[in-house]
Amino acid sequence: MKEISELNLPEDLRYTEDHEWARLEEDKVRVGLDDYAQDQLGDIVFVELPQAGDTFKKGEVFATVESVKAVSECYMPVGGKIVSVNNDLEESPELVNKSPYGDGWFVVINPSDPSEMDTLMTNEACLEKLKGTE
Amino acid sequence: MNKSKKWLCIELGTLEYGRAWDLQTSLVDARKKRIIDRDVILLLEHNPVFTLGRRGGMEDLTVSRNFLKKSGISVIQVERGGVITFHGPGQLIMYPIIDLNAARMRVVDYVERLEEVMIMTVAEWGIIAERNSLNRGIWVGNKKLGSIGIAIRKGICFHGMSLNVNISMKHFGWMNPCGLRETGTTSMKQDLSQKVSMSKVCGAVKKHVESVFGINLINTSLPELLKKL
Repeated sequence: MKEISELNLPEDLRYTEDHEWARLEEDKVRVGLDDYAQDQLGDIVFVELPQAGDTFKKGEVFATVESVKAVSECYMPVGGKIVSVNNDLEESPELVNKSPYGDGWFVVINPSDPSEMDTLMTNEACLEKLKGTE
Repeated sequence: MNKSKKWLCIELGTLEYGRAWDLQTSLVDARKKRIIDRDVILLLEHNPVFTLGRRGGMEDLTVSRNFLKKSGISVIQVERGGVITFHGPGQLIMYPIIDLNAARMRVVDYVERLEEVMIMTVAEWGIIAERNSLNRGIWVGNKKLGSIGIAIRKGICFHGMSLNVNISMKHFGWMNPCGLRETGTTSMKQDLSQKVSMSKVCGAVKKHVESVFGINLINTSLPELLKKL
């Protein structure tokens, strides 16, 4: 497992306690799994994504990822409608490991309440929390 | 890992699949909310049931749904990883409910440790089982002796492993094990040509859980644990 000091948690993103990241892109929010999650899960072999048009509340399960016979749930960082999903993950789920903040993104959300972004953690808060569990 | 760390251990005997599933779900929730402050393992057997993992489908059954219905065996789709599997009497099941983040354990390390527990357990009966790059679990040649399927919810793992002790091989012929063709299934009984004491296997699993995970188990009962929920 990566040491906390080795984790890459970019400054311009916001994070959930369950290690989803969210990036505000104009009025939309792009979402994926952070470096801690992809490292913790190991080689991801399957990603199950929702469909564009689906609507979820903050905290609801919107996707699952499977690695080494383990299925993990992923939770909405903010509520809203899915406007775009990363179909490349169907053929290449390993992108989540290779490029968690780039080609390994999961979905883009049209947030129903953009102020929910303020409830998420900064990279520093996320690191502090991880240090607390050591 | 800290040797003074303690996990709770509950031996449940035979429990119907749906009830064990509900119990796991409540324990995951209680563990997440810190209502239970320790990791827990459940040891049990199920009545005959086929379960399909997240990506499993009926196509991995080689008998019809109607035939199963007549045999009184249900098929349940669950959230764990892996494809199809069969549970029944004579198969030892272990469901650990562990906070993987608090344990600072990667999922792949966790799965490897479950395999290690099974490999060390069957070795006590002289069975040499191995990992196989085709599929997780433990194998004797190209026959599967123990399976693994895990789910993770809010960082807490559930579902777990199943080890074929004395279980009848009959029902495994009704499916393609873990979705793989041209592989088979075996049991400790089949490998040794004699029945094995389930309680001794259970004891060996507990001992190896302690050594492989570097923890101590505290035996408790379900009513005792439920008092906390």
